[in-house]
Amino acid sequence: MPSRPPRTHRRSTPWLLIAPALGWLAVFSLWPALNTAVLSFTNVHTLSGGQFIGPHNYQLMWQDPQLRDAIVNTLVFMAVCVPLLTFLPLLLALLVQRTLPFMGFFRTVFYFPVIASAVVVALIWQWLLDDRGLVNGLARQAGLVHSAVPFLTDRWLLLASAIALTVWKGLGYYMVLYLSALGNVRRELHEAAAVDGAGAVRRFWAVTVPGVRGTMALVSVLIAVSAMRVFTELYVLGGRTGGVGGQDVSLVMLIQQAAAGSDGRLGYASALSVFLFVLTVGPLLLLARWNRRTD
Amino acid sequence: MRRVRAALTLAALASLTLTACGVGGSSAAGGDKAVATDAPLKGTVTFQTWSLKNDKFTPYFTALIKDFESRHPGTTVTWVDQPGDGYPDKVTSQVTGGSLPDVVNLPPDIAHSVAKVGGLLDLAKNVPTLSKDYVRSGLTAYTYGDLGTAATYGFPWYLGTDISLWNKGMLQRDGLDPANLPKTFDQLLAQAKVMHDRSGGKDYLMSRPPGLSDIVNSGTPLMTPDGKTFAFATPGAAAMLDKYTAAYAAGYLPSDVLTSTYEGNSALFNKQVVAWTTGGGNYIASTQQTNPSLVPQIVPSPALDTAPLYVQGLSVSSKSKNLPLALAFAQFATDNANQAAFVKLAPGYLPGTTAAADDPSYSKSDGTAQGDASVFAYQDMQNAVNFTPPVWTSAMDTYLNQQIALAMTGKESSAQALHNAQDRANQLLNQ
Repeated sequence: MPSRPPRTHRRSTPWLLIAPALGWLAVFSLWPALNTAVLSFTNVHTLSGGQFIGPHNYQLMWQDPQLRDAIVNTLVFMAVCVPLLTFLPLLLALLVQRTLPFMGFFRTVFYFPVIASAVVVALIWQWLLDDRGLVNGLARQAGLVHSAVPFLTDRWLLLASAIALTVWKGLGYYMVLYLSALGNVRRELHEAAAVDGAGAVRRFWAVTVPGVRGTMALVSVLIAVSAMRVFTELYVLGGRTGGVGGQDVSLVMLIQQAAAGSDGRLGYASALSVFLFVLTVGPLLLLARWNRRTD
Repeated sequence: MRRVRAALTLAALASLTLTACGVGGSSAAGGDKAVATDAPLKGTVTFQTWSLKNDKFTPYFTALIKDFESRHPGTTVTWVDQPGDGYPDKVTSQVTGGSLPDVVNLPPDIAHSVAKVGGLLDLAKNVPTLSKDYVRSGLTAYTYGDLGTAATYGFPWYLGTDISLWNKGMLQRDGLDPANLPKTFDQLLAQAKVMHDRSGGKDYLMSRPPGLSDIVNSGTPLMTPDGKTFAFATPGAAAMLDKYTAAYAAGYLPSDVLTSTYEGNSALFNKQVVAWTTGGGNYIASTQQTNPSLVPQIVPSPALDTAPLYVQGLSVSSKSKNLPLALAFAQFATDNANQAAFVKLAPGYLPGTTAAADDPSYSKSDGTAQGDASVFAYQDMQNAVNFTPPVWTSAMDTYLNQQIALAMTGKESSAQALHNAQDRANQLLNQ
């Protein structure tokens, strides 16, 4: 009969096993986050060590003429992306869940944009939506418009284009998450609901949605976090200044602009980063609360 | 108790972080060292250029270094070349990492950032003949008001400017005379209207939004005389912006000049979409490599209004472990003979030495369009101005461009847009 390991050894084993992950977390997540918070109270620049200046960067932030636009754009982006990317991939997953001919092909096609680089995808959309792009060309030929639709120069159209791009690119990824969750929804429940006379829409709300609610909450959180950090889509579609006149600037673009170059204001960029963190935590708490309540 | 312990741990972590990030200290000192130059030179230095290692320039640098080493036995110069893209970021990481090469090619704006933290040697303090040997405009570019007007942080190496380049075929097609080219911005506007009207809006003469150079060319100094405040929101600058706005609204510029799909003036000229661009004195020679069919159409002329001055210089790292050798090599590489040999490889540029500036050979064309362009560049450089103050940052430039775009699209008045940009620039200047 094998002897039992000493009690102290047993207690330390789990910690030893997770030590590499904890070390990784401390060095690459906790330390930078703490350092960013500290730097936000200094006037550190790219090439010069900073001095403690208290909450001055946070005061400057409220005087930033672009902050209001950045907050509005970021929140609108998130508010539209979260519901769209929570429900559309679920509907898509329901479609491709069936075992029909060529379904593998369709799943691959829907997943394809996920594999492509965000920059490449944004460039393709830029070519599509430009004044002389494919969409405007076709619309002109069809006689739908006389002058080009300003997809990339109008503030709200550019934001809508970036949202459409993000939804299109994210559909496949979240569809795969839902496909795996749908596999766990019991078939008997659907059959019972059908016997009781429930139609497809009723079964969707009464059986499918409750069955994948956990995944929906996870998806919502993931989308909310990534939407708050929107950058590439607006940067490529709207240009480095954030659209004409900088009206489509996002919070991450503001951070990038503040920190860029050999004269980058790292202290100020850190203050913006802390603000973005706080702004992100709010919707996350709301989503978590909603999830708890619906459970 | 647990909460108290957690608070203490957090406080300890915060104080550790504060120490680690160097808060409370600045390393601005170090650039005003006096270098002893009487002892024989020996040892090794590293010399960094910016995108100059290629078939054209590598033999020159190899011979230059060999020549220096043979004149000073026991010395070694290690040449490194950095790619063109991301050079400012590379220099930034070298400065923060303490690995800036001993002798380094820096344009004035990057040199200003490095000098500001004490990373460059004050050459005025160590080279008594500096003002006699190098052209004033070049030295001025490396003299920074905010760091003291007595210090200079770069040897002017080679000077460039922009001339005007026109597409003869497009001009003639739209009834414009290549022998009567615009000399001022107002003449450019007038001819842009003619080209637009006669081509039915298909051809463009202008294709760039205004920038700092246009503000200066409108007769507006960017800063107050003491160099401490931006003051470019003047009626003259607003009138200039109004003209651009009207031209944009009338369709004299391509509609996408304000968007991310704007390819740039030079690219559109290369595609023969626009009939005017600005470029360096060697533009025609380089177009010969990229688009030879366009070259016969190109007619060069002097820059409109005042020409811009672009300066490249060699600086010496104040942290160099062999300052005498670094200083000697930087002086050697930028002396008149070596600079003259260098710019022979790049027609249209001018050496940064006073002796070369007086050389009459630069003012003679060989009769070709490239020869004419080189002469125009030489003539432009006599009165060219470095429009961008060293304290002008990328954040300021971004905001100015945004405000200009708002004005040109009619969402803001020109005067208000310039006021906004000026206020923001002053706010950033004091941060």
